[in-house]
Amino acid sequence: MEYKLRYFGQLQDLTGKAEETINHKFKTIGGLRALIVERYPKLSNINFKIAQNNFIDKDSSPINGTLIDFLPPFSGG
Amino acid sequence: MIMNERYLRHIQLSQVGSAGQEKIRKSKLLVVGAGGLGCPALQYLVAAGVGTIGIMDSDLISVSNLHRQIIFNEEDLGENKALCAKEHLQTLNSEVKINAFPFDLTHENAKKYFDDYDIVLDGTDNFYTRYLISDQCILSNKVMIYGAIHKFEGQISVFNYQNGPSYRCLFPIAPKIGEIQNCTDLGVLGIVPGIVGIYQAAEAIKVILGLGNVLSGKLLCLNLLNHQNTILKFKKNKSEIEKIKKGGKIIPIDNKDCYIGYEISLSQLSNKEKIKWIDVRKTDELPRIRHLNSLTETVSIESLIGTKEKKIVFCQTGVRSKEFVKEMIKKGIENCFFLKEGAEKLDKWGLNKLNDKKHNEK
Repeated sequence: MEYKLRYFGQLQDLTGKAEETINHKFKTIGGLRALIVERYPKLSNINFKIAQNNFIDKDSSPINGTLIDFLPPFSGG
Repeated sequence: MIMNERYLRHIQLSQVGSAGQEKIRKSKLLVVGAGGLGCPALQYLVAAGVGTIGIMDSDLISVSNLHRQIIFNEEDLGENKALCAKEHLQTLNSEVKINAFPFDLTHENAKKYFDDYDIVLDGTDNFYTRYLISDQCILSNKVMIYGAIHKFEGQISVFNYQNGPSYRCLFPIAPKIGEIQNCTDLGVLGIVPGIVGIYQAAEAIKVILGLGNVLSGKLLCLNLLNHQNTILKFKKNKSEIEKIKKGGKIIPIDNKDCYIGYEISLSQLSNKEKIKWIDVRKTDELPRIRHLNSLTETVSIESLIGTKEKKIVFCQTGVRSKEFVKEMIKKGIENCFFLKEGAEKLDKWGLNKLNDKKHNEK
């Protein structure tokens, strides 16, 4: 399955990417998180949210979207 | 009904009209943080004729604020943001009742100030205050207009609207210190908070008028570099909201990064921190505090320009030290604070610290 991944805020700085496409099989959002953290270990200390097809979902949810967004909280004001 | 010439262009909109303008006039809105987000929001909300506006901020205007907080000018350096914003805004619209609160929001005072308003606009730059606002909005049943920025990006949402989700539903776990880059480490294009702040003001007006689709249960993510603007939907997390409601009080988070204004208390200092102390009292004022190796009142402010370490100014009561810090900020000096307590308490604190150090060395 092909997924489009988009990184927001600080996650862009830490991955060095605004977006990328990957080919992989995932069952859950949590599985996707584990792979991304393995690929970019700097993300392991950040509690970011994951959205699929523009819906922020919990880690236990099955993957049914192909557009995946990684979203940290923003501090600035 | 008012048919005011000033708001004619509002009233001409069929979605607003005289009745809508009257709703705006009757509304009460509290802006927490008169900085990058709060200032532009305030300018439009005051111009729009929001009847009562509160502005809360303990911070003082420094030169590095001016590239984005364009309500302020060079003559305002060193002044308190809430008081100064009020002064400027009142000349923009004398009909608006503006209340300035030149201090920080705390878990002790939040209820008192929130109860007087309908809507709270989050213009803060730190997680500590943001979670305070979110919790108190749940407890006092107020709408929270959220905005936050990172470099060229912004996040906007409306929380606690018509029983909708809160900030904790989106981010239930507060970031630890260092997890997310803080306000002082982060650069930002000055226009970004301008756009996000004005977006917040627009959502506030929509809430007041019951207009269009409010960003409740939706997070608008803006990116000024690539125009990849996205709306991410999220669900209400009932247990997060119930946790606050059942406890009946705010649950302050541990991360106080960037929360402190220019006033600092001895209780906020750790024993290990490296601090440059500055004593601005006359040489005959007692007690003398020699063990902290403080600089004395003869120190020139110019010699402190560009120094990175934490600088804390003290005097006998905290009055002269505050004035000295204002002067430092005017000169663009960063990381400087004035001590809430006077020299006597600092003396005791310093001696304890010295004893601890000796004890540890044994």
